[in-house]
Amino acid sequence: MAAMAGGKARSCGTAVRQVSKSNFASVLKQIRADVEAADFVAVYTRVTGDSSSSSSHRWPWRRILPIDTLETSYLKCKLAAESFELFQVAICPFSIHGSKVIAFPYNFHLFPRDELQMGLPSYSFSCQPSFLSSMAREGFDFNTCIYDGISYLSRVQEARARESNRRPSLHPISSSRILSVADSIFKERIKSRVHHWRKAYEGSSQDSDLSLVQSLRKLLLGGEAYGSRPCMSLDVCSERQVQLVFETVEQISDDLVPIFIPDSGGQPKAVRVVLASSQEDKTALLTEIEKLENEQNLKLRGFREVIDIISKSQKTIISHDCLRNFTFIHEKLIGSLPATLPEFMCSLKLLFSNVIDLNNLLKVMGPLRKAKNMSSALHYIKRHFFLPIEIEVPESPEDWITRSHGNYALRIASLFAKLSMLLKTSASQTALEHCTPIEDYANVFHPSSISLNEQGDDDDDAVCSTDANKRVKTDSIIFLWGFSSTISVAELKQLLLQIHPLFSEEFDVQLVDKTCAVVVLGSLHSSEAFLEAVRSGKTASSKLGESFADGLKVAGYDAYKNVCMLGLWEGNLADSLDIVMAEQMENISSSHGANVNEKYWNSEMMIDLNHL
Amino acid sequence: MTPAVEMNNPWLVFGLRAFAQTLNRSHYGRFRRFLCSNARATAGGAGNGMAVKKVTLSNFWSVLEDLRIRVRQSDFVAIDLEMTGVTSAPWRDFFEFDRSDVRYLKVKDSAEKFAVAQFGVCTFRWDATQCSFVAHPLNFYIFPRQEPFVEGAAYEFLCQTTSISFLAKYQFDFNAYIREGMSYLSKAQEAEALQNLRSACENDLCSTSYNSYERVEIPTVRTSDLLFSERMKIRFHEWREGVLKYPEDCTLEGQSCSPKTQFQTVFFKLRPAVMLNGFTSHKLKLIQWVLRKHFNDLRYICVSGENNSSQKLVVYTDSKEDMASLMKEVKEDQLKCREVKIHSAVGFRHVIDLLSSEEKLIIGHNCFLDFAHIHSKFIGQLPSSMEEFTLSVNKNFPHIIDTKHLICSNHVIQYLMSKRSKSLSSAFSVLCPKIYSASQNSASSRSYVKVEVQADESGSSYWNSGAKHEAGYDAFMTGCVFAQACAHFGIEFEQDSLAMDLPRNEKLQNYINILYPSWNSGTVIDLRTGAERSDSGYKRKYPRIEFPNIALVWGFSSKLKPKDFEECLCKVFGSAAVISVFCLDRTAVLIQFNKKEFVDHFLVLKDALERDDGPISVLHPLAKVLDGGNTYAADYETYKEICGCLASKLMFAEQAEAMGIKWKTKIRTGSVEKGEIYSYTDIAENHLNISLIRQQSEIKDASGEQEQTREDVLTSCMLRS
Repeated sequence: MAAMAGGKARSCGTAVRQVSKSNFASVLKQIRADVEAADFVAVYTRVTGDSSSSSSHRWPWRRILPIDTLETSYLKCKLAAESFELFQVAICPFSIHGSKVIAFPYNFHLFPRDELQMGLPSYSFSCQPSFLSSMAREGFDFNTCIYDGISYLSRVQEARARESNRRPSLHPISSSRILSVADSIFKERIKSRVHHWRKAYEGSSQDSDLSLVQSLRKLLLGGEAYGSRPCMSLDVCSERQVQLVFETVEQISDDLVPIFIPDSGGQPKAVRVVLASSQEDKTALLTEIEKLENEQNLKLRGFREVIDIISKSQKTIISHDCLRNFTFIHEKLIGSLPATLPEFMCSLKLLFSNVIDLNNLLKVMGPLRKAKNMSSALHYIKRHFFLPIEIEVPESPEDWITRSHGNYALRIASLFAKLSMLLKTSASQTALEHCTPIEDYANVFHPSSISLNEQGDDDDDAVCSTDANKRVKTDSIIFLWGFSSTISVAELKQLLLQIHPLFSEEFDVQLVDKTCAVVVLGSLHSSEAFLEAVRSGKTASSKLGESFADGLKVAGYDAYKNVCMLGLWEGNLADSLDIVMAEQMENISSSHGANVNEKYWNSEMMIDLNHL
Repeated sequence: MTPAVEMNNPWLVFGLRAFAQTLNRSHYGRFRRFLCSNARATAGGAGNGMAVKKVTLSNFWSVLEDLRIRVRQSDFVAIDLEMTGVTSAPWRDFFEFDRSDVRYLKVKDSAEKFAVAQFGVCTFRWDATQCSFVAHPLNFYIFPRQEPFVEGAAYEFLCQTTSISFLAKYQFDFNAYIREGMSYLSKAQEAEALQNLRSACENDLCSTSYNSYERVEIPTVRTSDLLFSERMKIRFHEWREGVLKYPEDCTLEGQSCSPKTQFQTVFFKLRPAVMLNGFTSHKLKLIQWVLRKHFNDLRYICVSGENNSSQKLVVYTDSKEDMASLMKEVKEDQLKCREVKIHSAVGFRHVIDLLSSEEKLIIGHNCFLDFAHIHSKFIGQLPSSMEEFTLSVNKNFPHIIDTKHLICSNHVIQYLMSKRSKSLSSAFSVLCPKIYSASQNSASSRSYVKVEVQADESGSSYWNSGAKHEAGYDAFMTGCVFAQACAHFGIEFEQDSLAMDLPRNEKLQNYINILYPSWNSGTVIDLRTGAERSDSGYKRKYPRIEFPNIALVWGFSSKLKPKDFEECLCKVFGSAAVISVFCLDRTAVLIQFNKKEFVDHFLVLKDALERDDGPISVLHPLAKVLDGGNTYAADYETYKEICGCLASKLMFAEQAEAMGIKWKTKIRTGSVEKGEIYSYTDIAENHLNISLIRQQSEIKDASGEQEQTREDVLTSCMLRS
């Protein structure tokens, strides 16, 4: 807020603070204050590839397609987050004051450098060449990332690293158990040893001894020095003993500080008891050790510290294409992604309680529904509305590196400000009960998919194209494979027309990859009838039998869903579907009961097919 | 050593004294330097400051033309590759426990998943007048960039974090790599792209009329669309009238048009045409619809213009025949244009084609993996077996010498190297000390082969520093090592270059086309025959490995150490039964038994224990291994299968899971009969008893005891049945 009062502003897009390993520690303090002062935090990730890009994949069906439900989209995002790497996270804490947006954009450059020599955070990662090329065209600096990127560990990795790489600490792992006889004996022994040692020092503190006497005493008592303070080591062989020593030492005297010392394997080795000369000295000693611990923590967590700050602040997070962004953040900075979308949403909610997806917000705003990306949405708003939003970026300290490109988070902030202003004005025009606060849009993600028949041209007019939103039930989708690789969509359509009366009405065929096509039936029909006909072999025409004898295969949406859930990503869709179908044949007897639920799920699930 | 003369060229920091001598000689815009007196080089920075030309998108084609001549004139060519990684998971590393087919699967996996970042090529030509080799090192940056019209060339590739950090440590320029790296297509990809192109064109030609009419449906009625269509109709009508009226007048007087949409008559293939600029794709669709509906002689055409942009035109044709011939011309143009694009997309592979077609002697250092990369990137998919691979490499590159093999198998060089590491830089420093460092006073009187680096004068921005672990410089070092080794073999360079014919030199016949499949395989492979034989010079770390005696276990509790395995298994099978336990990673081990039968025995026993939930399964010594309930076991063949699997999971157990393995124990068929004959618990019981007895009594002869165990099991089985 202080920066706002200063009013030294630069225009939008000129000063994004670039953070790398060399200046990370100094930026950390500042961003903590900025996040604290802001209302919202915009987050955007730059990665080495993703599932939504229209670039060439070895297996094109891995991209998020219009036939994907939210569930399968999540599974595809999960796959992407697991294989690709995070190179940059743009973070922009911002506040909206009327028509003024005050923003503090940061770009954190990351690289999964193995700081601990433990093969963490990642052994290897994938790159999509076309993705990297387009990043390069935008002026992304890969050298900064790789030479000087900040490393990080996810929460799960940190826990694991701590276990095998423990440092001296003040806090042992505590476990409460009833004292056994052996425990009390051990405690007594420790007590007498420490007492004896301490007494010796007490006695000596009055008269300043000769150095010879001092060193002799050191030899006799087995004492060492911790910095300038005297200390002694007590060997231990279990966590339990560590705890006992800590308890005992605390009971003996106030001026003793126990420190846990692990061996190289992280197992307890000793407890070092340091004698502080006074209460002030003890506090100084404690802060000294804590500072060391914090330094070590920062080294372990690296960039994750920033995410922890944002998480702790409980601010509302704004992002675009949230499913993609937050699967990456979860996978790299929290822990492995859970198997299903609901679990993921729960887990994410523990990290960020409020996340607003601009994708979702755009879908809500009638005309902006079809905006393919942020720039087309911004463009549309600019042309059709008058929204006097002013973005103010307070000047950053002199010595910070700032750069004009890579202002994604800033753009998210500005789009959000515009959209919320639009929502407010439209709400004030309509009746009051329709007014929904912006927070109601939180935590609903909307995946952005690419269309199957890609068109090369960039089309800024697509926002207002004509066709209505076509929604299709998942059970009117049929997957078709086993045809010759040279067949065209039109030929496939002809073939279908001949083999079943179901296809006499309107239907659509698209190729998912070279080996598999998807058939979308008219909204009234379900694939079940056709699939049943194929299964029972009671063919309406001889042509059907012929084609299936030739190796043509069909399956419903369930099979596709299973392919995604089982993670059969390596291979053409046809091959993966084959595996799933073979398994289904095996399990057909055992899983009759489960099917009922599946159906319910199906009829609930609708997919957006406006791109098909 | 303060330089007396100020020099601008970056490579001149090197060897100033020598340079002063050479400068007089270089009149022809070409600088030549002798490397034998490098004043700056110290132990750490071998050859710092040597000029290696950096080749990227911007200068590739001109360099290629030069290279054609240089390769033709050269006596041999040294190569070196820098990759984005080597192993996709820790368990994919090369182990002594890898059978040769497993090792090949690992090489294949590495070559298929990782990308080549730098390709160093260094040509060496003997200059009889100077009595030295003339080396010309080049450092190609290559990046699998997506090229238009060529599908599937640029798939995702893997980076190993440590390799990337390693490259960064040696100042690899990642921006240059991604922005300006030269792209490439393999022979197979090129053939496929051409094939696709031709079939697409054929399809297009025969179904033009049908397709294009169907593709654009009648637009939905919307006022703005209607208005636009109507306006376009009028406009095209006016334009058409204008063209018909004043064929020689090029511009159209459209009064009401805004300047943005004004029609300008241009000529397309000698026919009057209109460029359509500034229309959205929706409007273009409407225009197409209008044209088809109302104009028979106007044709909408989309041609690809300069720099991948597509240009939309409306062309006027006189007649139906004219229309057909126009379409044919357009199609042919398109085909030609795309063929040119595919040719240029071949990119860096032209260099490989050149090396292959010239059949020069190729020198690499430990280059088996390099050739796997070359094969998968520039020739075609790697074959499934090692033999096919080696034969294919041999067909493309008939003469290859691996300097690593050369160094390790020649006694003279062995003696010179004494106990030093066999790495490239160490070999370079020992064998070519004059090039390596400046110490002129090296007392030895051995004759060193002189190598002169040639560089042509051009923009200084193309120079790389020329440091260790940079492909171009590594290739140069490899070549120097080879040249020096040849001198030690007594090969005479002092004669005419043509007579030298290194590939057919008798003294090199023991080394040609012999490669190490991996650094710890203990074998060499002959590329001409694909046969692998053991390498006498290799010292094995583990005792002789019998692959049928090996069992694979994975998914066990993370607390188990190899020592625990040995302990458990020795309790069951006797102390001598387990020869070694090798950790693939922390989730999987290979256990080598002293007999093949024990593998089957172990698998059957494990299976039995898992089926049983009585007290035996808890008390049995193997219970520790089975703890957690996720322990899988199989034989060596399964290890091979899992290594051949495409997925790249970090941990071996995860990989096995991703493969969709359903069973928990794979019992070899044809091994101990199971199930029907006797109950599993019986064996388990027996084993428990035996092991308990064994613990009590002293065992003298472990192998004898083993026989007894088996006998016991069998007798008990017979009794039961």
